[in-house]
Amino acid sequence: MYKARHAWSFLSIPLLLLLLFTFIPSIAALGLSFTNYNVFDPVEWVGLNNYIQAFQDSEFRKALFNTVYYWLLVTPVLVVFPILIAVLVNQKLRGISMFRLIFYFPVLVSVVVTAILWKWMFAKQGIINYFLSFLGIGEIGWLINPSTVMLALAFVTVWQGFGYYMLFYLAALQGVPKELYEACELDGGSFWQKHIYVTVPLIKPMIFFVTVISTMGAFKEFTLMLTMTSGGPLRASTTAVLLVFQEAFTELNMGYASAISFILFIVILIITFINQKFLDQNPR
Amino acid sequence: MNKMMNAKFLLMLVLGMMLITFTACSDGDETSAGDTEDTTTNEENTDNTGDNTGDTADTSGSSDELSGEVEFMTISLLPAFEDYLNGLKESFESEHPGVTVKINDVPYDQVEQLVLTKAASGDLPDVMNLNTDFVKKAGAKGALVNMDEAAADVKDTFFEGIWEAGSVNGSVYALPWYTTTSGLIYNPELLEKAGYDAPPATFEEAWEMSPTILEKTGAYGEVIMPEMHFQFPKNGIPFLNEDNTKAAFNTPEAVELWTKYKEYYDEGLYDIDILLNQVSMAELYAQEKVAWWYTGPQLFRQVKDLSPDVYEKSLAGPPLEGTAGKQHANPMNIAVSSTSKSKDAAVAFAKFVTNADNQLAFAKEAAVLPPVKEAIEDPFFAEGEDSEDATERGKFYAAQALDTAENMIPPVESVSGIYEAIHQAFQRVLLQDVDPADALTQAEQEVNSLLAE
Repeated sequence: MYKARHAWSFLSIPLLLLLLFTFIPSIAALGLSFTNYNVFDPVEWVGLNNYIQAFQDSEFRKALFNTVYYWLLVTPVLVVFPILIAVLVNQKLRGISMFRLIFYFPVLVSVVVTAILWKWMFAKQGIINYFLSFLGIGEIGWLINPSTVMLALAFVTVWQGFGYYMLFYLAALQGVPKELYEACELDGGSFWQKHIYVTVPLIKPMIFFVTVISTMGAFKEFTLMLTMTSGGPLRASTTAVLLVFQEAFTELNMGYASAISFILFIVILIITFINQKFLDQNPR
Repeated sequence: MNKMMNAKFLLMLVLGMMLITFTACSDGDETSAGDTEDTTTNEENTDNTGDNTGDTADTSGSSDELSGEVEFMTISLLPAFEDYLNGLKESFESEHPGVTVKINDVPYDQVEQLVLTKAASGDLPDVMNLNTDFVKKAGAKGALVNMDEAAADVKDTFFEGIWEAGSVNGSVYALPWYTTTSGLIYNPELLEKAGYDAPPATFEEAWEMSPTILEKTGAYGEVIMPEMHFQFPKNGIPFLNEDNTKAAFNTPEAVELWTKYKEYYDEGLYDIDILLNQVSMAELYAQEKVAWWYTGPQLFRQVKDLSPDVYEKSLAGPPLEGTAGKQHANPMNIAVSSTSKSKDAAVAFAKFVTNADNQLAFAKEAAVLPPVKEAIEDPFFAEGEDSEDATERGKFYAAQALDTAENMIPPVESVSGIYEAIHQAFQRVLLQDVDPADALTQAEQEVNSLLAE
């Protein structure tokens, strides 16, 4: 009883903050999605009109497609690549903490700074095209070509995000009993077999966690697109959240923007359930 | 017993949380409780904006007895113009002892969201510095005082084309505060290398010179910039029809213009990265990758910051002209909230800030132009005529252009949607080889459906 009381005392402030800044605004946004609220005029109930409009809106469909495309580019890499790095920096070698710091460093750079730096590097006469020219590859308009813009944005996301997920895997790897590796070695297991049959099953809960949060991150990404491309060219990098921002703050369609947000919420929820079904199993 | 205590404790906790929640949600005065009332007031004001500009809750009666607190929201002017703004505040307060002016400067990139948040809570600043696009949005929603009526007495002091900047749905909702038109900064060395001894005077000349400049120097001449939509009105092609109900830009002239732009693009005379804001014109000019830059002279200093040597050899000329012979002037505006509790004082302060003396004083401090006719006649604006400095000379040419300048932004609420439709169509022409006529037709349809909403 005493412990429970203390637990509730500590929980009450975060719960209150969560209530004030997450749950109440979310419920209010759900309510707004059934209105045509534009900030200045009184709220007008429009029922499901915003949702119907969303499914008829080619811009929204394109934004949703772009978001899914971006997610497919980013999440698999952010789930797998950091495992490899984490395995490497989990070795007990001299100066390994320096490597961990180097890999983690991009996470510390602000997204806007990252976006501006990469915008320069991806420019037609930027350093990336300069290096590619040594390979005989001509100028590529990374951010001005509808077919390459998402690849460039996904690359920046991976560059900035892999150190973050590496840290999660590193924590999970510390919990893998060394005896299991030794047993695997005694059985004649190779380096890869050790990791496939020991590491991966034991860090599966972390893989599920990283998959879920990188999926949510990919679906919510917005700053990179806003700063690097403003959603262009030809809306090829307009993601769903960028569209929400534009509808809400440029067009003042708060109701419609809220409806899009809720559709996105449902999509993320479905994907999370699918992830859970395939990944969230206890290691055997 | 334990269960009871537990339940009591949880009940106390929930009550405590509710108390804190409701306390936090209340702003200590009537605003929160009066949200519904605010909405009603807003509606009333929307309907009678012009009629009740003289009715305020705390005004004693005549305009000489103004009273109340006026919050003046400025955009990124502090600390650079602190003395000027404090001077305005003190002068107005000494003229109207019953009025207190409170200056609230907000960063440029947060203005719209901040105004929206305040509008949502029924707490708009009394007097606001707003850009023209936002004036149209807020004005169309009835959030701003109708200046055609509230400031009818000062209307004639402004340049007509610039007064109309705050116009939406047939009424003007803001007073122009300061403005810019364009000048031309050019690199005489690049022109000389290409065999030219003077910069172009018109867009047509500019495009004619561009192939030679590119061939002889490797630099671009004329380019398509992010504000390409203004090429329509600059070349006599209106955005909308006379009653602003339909798109009017899908004309043979527009098709011809875009066909030429596509040809120039295919010839490599310019790149789309400038149009898409992937590179800045200031950087390109400073790197001598472009022979001239057609822009407001207040931006010429960017070249000086980036490359003093290039700036040193640069000269300024009159702005390029399209076939309509008109320049676009895009003012920053002063608007008054229609829900202001000190509306009379707020309108008086807005007029005070935008009168000839104060506009002139501000133009002398900042590299901007006053939209008031009397102020522009000051000898200060003729000083740059013989200056060797590109910015000073550019200011002279920009001031000269004010007479024929007009705000070319369409007087409707959905301005950003119109620009977006035009930009998307133009990008399809360049990137997907869509026929200009088809692209314009599609843009026209999109704009028509926007206007019909």
